[in-house]
Amino acid sequence: MTHYAIATDLNRCVGCLACSVACKAMNNVPVGDYWNKTLRVGPNPKADGCGTWPDVEMYFLTVQCQHCKDPECVKVCPTGASHIADDGTVQIDKSKCIGCQFCAMSCPYGVRYLNTEERVVEKCTLCEQRIAQGELPACVAQCGGRARFFGDLDKGIDSFEAPWVVDVTEGDPSYDKTEHTRITLKECVQEYKQSDVHHLPDVGNDPSFVYILRDRDWQGEE
Amino acid sequence: MELQWPLILFTTLTAWGCGVLGGAGALALKGAGKKSQQLLAIVSCVLLALGGIAVFFHLQHWERIFNGFGHITSGITQELIAIVVFVVIAVAYFVMARKSDDGGTLPKWMAWVAIAISVVLAAVCAHSYMMPARPAWDSVLEVLSIVGAACLLGPATCAVVLAAKGEDADACGLPAVAGSAIGAVCTAAYAAFIQMSAGAFSQVGYYFDPTHPTKAVADAAATAGAQAPLLWLGAVVVGAVVPLAVCVLARKKGDAASWKLFGGVAVVAALIGAVCLRVAFYNVGLSVFMFY
Repeated sequence: MTHYAIATDLNRCVGCLACSVACKAMNNVPVGDYWNKTLRVGPNPKADGCGTWPDVEMYFLTVQCQHCKDPECVKVCPTGASHIADDGTVQIDKSKCIGCQFCAMSCPYGVRYLNTEERVVEKCTLCEQRIAQGELPACVAQCGGRARFFGDLDKGIDSFEAPWVVDVTEGDPSYDKTEHTRITLKECVQEYKQSDVHHLPDVGNDPSFVYILRDRDWQGEE
Repeated sequence: MELQWPLILFTTLTAWGCGVLGGAGALALKGAGKKSQQLLAIVSCVLLALGGIAVFFHLQHWERIFNGFGHITSGITQELIAIVVFVVIAVAYFVMARKSDDGGTLPKWMAWVAIAISVVLAAVCAHSYMMPARPAWDSVLEVLSIVGAACLLGPATCAVVLAAKGEDADACGLPAVAGSAIGAVCTAAYAAFIQMSAGAFSQVGYYFDPTHPTKAVADAAATAGAQAPLLWLGAVVVGAVVPLAVCVLARKKGDAASWKLFGGVAVVAALIGAVCLRVAFYNVGLSVFMFY
């Protein structure tokens, strides 16, 4: 069974916010709402440092719907509007939503928003309109640091993909070629250990998104 | 999170309605308050209806309300079912009281059914908010706080109604005092839980959210600490200790005038306390990952 997710190499993320902007543009996210945010975590003292600058470290953390395996939002939704789709992503059937917003309350990450115009709750769809036709989510496609990779968790995160440089000297540099020229996470990023792989805090929802952070302390519980 | 006033009103009014029907059931068990039984059943339904109106201001697509029956294991679906069952039982309660010879005698089983559905509805409504994502909400004490609100509000309201109808309001004395005591313990226990919830939130040290550059850093300890006046002065002292004290006083005096006055004071104070508790509940309702 498929379970799409995103893996982000936080050592590569430069905090350019391109993912956040791409998401807003691609999904027409209302002003004031953010389906995808980039937080700066730190600067915090290094574990074995003097406690002040320059012994500090920080990283950027991209946060959005984690498309959990056991999502709290789906458990509390009284209508079945919030559901797990066949591709393992968590989606909202807006035509069923009564706008009770309990899904937004039950989300451990606060990534759901009430669209006040449509009067339904919205969130990251993992760009289902794009992934359904084999494209990458906008946040992955536009990542300025090539830090984000998209793929099927069941195949392991090493198989996750990001866009790769299109060789325009060979053949036709078409949209299709641009979209399907990719590199895998294993080919692209520095080696990492299993202890470098992190998730956002899990309160029983089993978040699917993966964060790789080497040589720095992951802040917060998992 | 922001105060959800429709939900604050819904929860408070539902607890009140449950308390009234439960109080009526307690009176029916003793064979007391016969002239008031029909009125109490109506009052409980009116309170529930007012709560229903309030909650419709929260629902963004209330015209799709029947979709709310679509997921049996979700808290809201269970609430809707419990509300329907409550109304059916309240109507049956009213009809049985009306059909009895003196217009107010109910079989003991019906009295127990009324008490049971009152406890169940209050508990189910509160249980919807038990979410692992909101550490300050995720406790059985939260459920007991709503059941406690029903215990505080219901019997005192019944005493006022009995006194107003010229019945022996003292028949409601023990339920009112016991209900106030239970409510006070439940309220104080949940207030203490909220105050101690700060340690359950995820911490990432310093952080910055570029979409809210001027927003203060989330601080669960400060947020929980700031609720102390609402919790201890509003919910516990005004909302629980005052009702308990005036119910004890009214029971000592025992006359209708005392119950009218002190029962009314108990209801108003308990309402203020219930609202204070729910306001603090939303103020401290941060998600476990509170930085987004």
